[in-house]
Amino acid sequence: MNERQIVLEVNGKEYKLTVKPNELLINVLRERLGLMGTKYGCGVGECGACTVLMDGNPVLSCQMLALSASGSKITTIEGIAQNGRLHPLQEAFLDEGAVQCGFCTPGMILSAKALLDKKPNPTDMEIKEAIRGNICRCTGYINILRAIKTASLKLSERSR
Amino acid sequence: MSSSRIITQDFDYIKAVSLGEALESLAKDGARVFAGGTDLLNKIKTARDNPKLLVDITGIEELKGFSFSEGCLLIGAAVRLSFLEDEKVITERYPALHEAIKSLGSVQIRNMATLAGNLCNASPIADTAPPLMVYDAEVEISRLHNTRIEKRIISLKDFFTGPGQTVLQKGEMVTGVRVPEPMASSGAAFGKIARVTMDLAKVNCAVWLKREEAVVAEARIAVGGAAPVPVRVEKVEKALAGMRPSSKRISQAAALVGENLSPISDVRSTAKYRTDTASVLIRDTFFPAWKRSGGEEITDE
Repeated sequence: MNERQIVLEVNGKEYKLTVKPNELLINVLRERLGLMGTKYGCGVGECGACTVLMDGNPVLSCQMLALSASGSKITTIEGIAQNGRLHPLQEAFLDEGAVQCGFCTPGMILSAKALLDKKPNPTDMEIKEAIRGNICRCTGYINILRAIKTASLKLSERSR
Repeated sequence: MSSSRIITQDFDYIKAVSLGEALESLAKDGARVFAGGTDLLNKIKTARDNPKLLVDITGIEELKGFSFSEGCLLIGAAVRLSFLEDEKVITERYPALHEAIKSLGSVQIRNMATLAGNLCNASPIADTAPPLMVYDAEVEISRLHNTRIEKRIISLKDFFTGPGQTVLQKGEMVTGVRVPEPMASSGAAFGKIARVTMDLAKVNCAVWLKREEAVVAEARIAVGGAAPVPVRVEKVEKALAGMRPSSKRISQAAALVGENLSPISDVRSTAKYRTDTASVLIRDTFFPAWKRSGGEEITDE
């Protein structure tokens, strides 16, 4: 089939890859680059487990062809810790008990990160809107909401 | 219906750089317009579509246009919903469209999906269809004739022909959506009933009103999810025209909606539920539309 070359920047590192038209972005991230943090859930755009950031915005990596992602900057859950230190959102999720089975967590954290990057002090409603596309079936939404608020506070203290 | 983490079907893909190139590719057998992919990839994954060629139009500069001038809003086919959702022109002048976009899917879906794609997918419950229909939107359709690009404009209310079906012919694509500026003393709102906010609508609707002092001069009402295509419900529109609104009279007019609907029963709702809900939804959506038209608060007399 008509394989083509794409260039992807994933977590700050540039990759040149040859992909088939029917390869999904999630296939490339997990199977080619070994980044298993991005989860495959429903496959039809309802659960948000496959969420990654594309040029800073949350998108669904199982609803996107690798070819159409070419040229973009992708951030996965593996890319947000810095210098061996967890991102404040990751810390807050652990501190607040917002992780149970963990399957929704990467997508949930990335959706939250995109929100906080744009809006450092969101309201509860804005947080709920931001993670509306990320389904948690351990139903830990209360702790998740609290974790995102805690991280928002931590981040604004840090930038002070 | 099942889905898997890999797509097993083979197809080719082209990222068109110009409209001419896209249209040329679309003339080929089995070619499909590919924009956000949020609907089309699902259809491919679940074997409801089997295209040979995907023509990605999101890189075409001339389809990324967004403008508001001379009383007309122009939205190019490659404009994503997330771009539109916080646009001031839409929030202020087309609030029903703003509400529909905000209610559609998730942040992720709106970062990928386009407005034109929501229309071309032609789901009977496409959220942006009812508001665009009551705002009298038009769809710009392009095709290649010899080597010249030809355009035709049709009203959105004539665009849908059935579930997943539109007037689009082979080789044609929607290149833009045009929405005239709402007239003075008019107001519109969007309403939707879904199981949870992330879910597709069971029923959705948009109410547009033109007010003359304390009377509804004209009403345009579109309902989605209760017929093979989103429909204007003329029975209710006629009953509202000339009315001095009261809660009771609005409910009575809205209750006529069943005569314009032909809903089905499916996983989301029964036909009866859809008809009954459409009536209540129209009533509830009337109030914010009336308020936006500048109307006084409606009292029960």
